[in-house]
Amino acid sequence: MAPHTPGHSSHSGRSSGPRTGGDRPRKPRRQYVRRRKVCRFCVDKMDYVDYKNVDLLKTFILDRGKVIPRRITGTCARHQRWLKVAIKRARNIALLPFAAGI
Amino acid sequence: MAEERFYELIFICRPDTPEAEIDKVVSTLQTIVDEHQGRIEKIDKWGVRRLAYRVDKSREGFFVFLAMYGRQGDMIKELERRLKVSEPVLKYMTVRIDEELKRQNKLVARRERRLARRPRKTPGESATAAS
Repeated sequence: MAPHTPGHSSHSGRSSGPRTGGDRPRKPRRQYVRRRKVCRFCVDKMDYVDYKNVDLLKTFILDRGKVIPRRITGTCARHQRWLKVAIKRARNIALLPFAAGI
Repeated sequence: MAEERFYELIFICRPDTPEAEIDKVVSTLQTIVDEHQGRIEKIDKWGVRRLAYRVDKSREGFFVFLAMYGRQGDMIKELERRLKVSEPVLKYMTVRIDEELKRQNKLVARRERRLARRPRKTPGESATAAS
């Protein structure tokens, strides 16, 4: 599935496997299955993202108030677009923060 | 005659506003809508909620939600002008959502059509159909 990144594997090898001599620490091939991210809106079959649904929108913004990118949440392009509009509307009417004061 | 459009309007009053005052604002909005051949679909008082940020030094506000149909753009103009000059109102927002609702209806209809076209896709029905 996902390509084995050398950065990850060398780290895991150092922590788990016994250290033997040589230029490279031997490691058991770490096989982790990356969970396939699915769009939550598609799963719930949502055809409209309501800006009044604050609890839902809150799960897609960080504490700072920024929108979480879809590469992290797994939202599909279309739903992220709707989400963006909904978040912006909610911000406008003080349901969501533009930026949280820290 | 212009086609009918669907709007949602939210306005926020100061939290210490007496209820009667809010009702007065709502009724003025109502008359404006009536004058412009619109009709109000829903009036919902959400009550006092925390604001996500400070508005006019206020951290809370009394939210009122309205949904309405309108035919004339002047209606919204007049509603917003009224809200702007009314003393207890902190903030307001009008959104036109009929296009989005239309899109939603379309998607819902498409999904239903698909389900109707392929009924055997559902596992429960396929079992009964095969036997």
